[in-house]
Amino acid sequence: MRLTMERESLQQDQEWVESIVKKDQLNRFNLTNTDAPFNYFESFPEKMNTRIQLEKNKPKNSILKIIFLNQYAKMAIAATFILIIGGTYLYKNTSTKKVVSNPISLQEIPNEEIINYVNNNESIAEIDLDLVINKENASLENLEEIEIQNIQKAIIQ
Amino acid sequence: MSSDQELIIQFQQSINKEDVFTQLVQKHQQKVYYQIKRMVLNHADADDIAQLVWIKVWNKLDGFKMESEFSTWIFRIAYTETLNFIQKQKKQGGKLSNDDLNTYENASGSSDEPKSTEIQIALDSAIKQLPEKQRIVFMLRYFDNYDYEKIAGIMGTTVGGAKANFHQAVKKIKKFVKKL
Repeated sequence: MRLTMERESLQQDQEWVESIVKKDQLNRFNLTNTDAPFNYFESFPEKMNTRIQLEKNKPKNSILKIIFLNQYAKMAIAATFILIIGGTYLYKNTSTKKVVSNPISLQEIPNEEIINYVNNNESIAEIDLDLVINKENASLENLEEIEIQNIQKAIIQ
Repeated sequence: MSSDQELIIQFQQSINKEDVFTQLVQKHQQKVYYQIKRMVLNHADADDIAQLVWIKVWNKLDGFKMESEFSTWIFRIAYTETLNFIQKQKKQGGKLSNDDLNTYENASGSSDEPKSTEIQIALDSAIKQLPEKQRIVFMLRYFDNYDYEKIAGIMGTTVGGAKANFHQAVKKIKKFVKKL
């Protein structure tokens, strides 16, 4: 029963195909794509025997060796990446920590150093002073007493 | 000639396996080769793949439990190996050789039957342009008269999937041939 149904189904499919393309054209296609060189099938079993002998003589652990080599290579590459990334991370973190772990308070800086810094950066002070003088609507009347004193000191220096 | 089952049992039990293996090769080599060639469309590639298939059979036959037919099992190996080969070719940017247009022109008597040649070439192109799965289902069904169950077993798909592939293939061929 099942066989009959299957046969009918196959026949239907084939008729459907042959309603589109002629049977002899389909057969010609099949012939062209299922040909083999002369004597190919006669010599193939012998060829396979030779290949099988080679396969048998092939050391079985050679595949494992290749796998191990590959694994080593992979591990080496992974280790290099970890070293590069880890090294960079550690380097950056420790250099930041140095700054954070050693905060310098203003009291700890010797007075001489502060005086030297101010003297060396006098030009900055002058710019600030110019800003005050050239400020919009600036006039002597608007200046506070302390600001006037600062200006006088700067002129004397 | 012994049946596949007998040969496989002999192979699995004997120490000298080569003779039994040669018998299996002789029995199935043509169908395996044709199935591969229909997919890759040239002899050199088909020969390489066929050798790989038989080496795989040699290596795995001891573990074959005869849960399916031997022919289904070997065709499935051939199908998988060929698909792997085609995918590798695609990755490398290679193309399957289609040196057949001239063959058809010569075969069909050329100038006397221009329409016939055109249809032949169109049919050839249509089948070759089908996706691999559809092409192999079409060929196994139409040319080898396989039932869908066996086709599904070879391709590792369902019967419904195999039927769908066949219908898609025929529809595409129809569309292609209708353009003429």
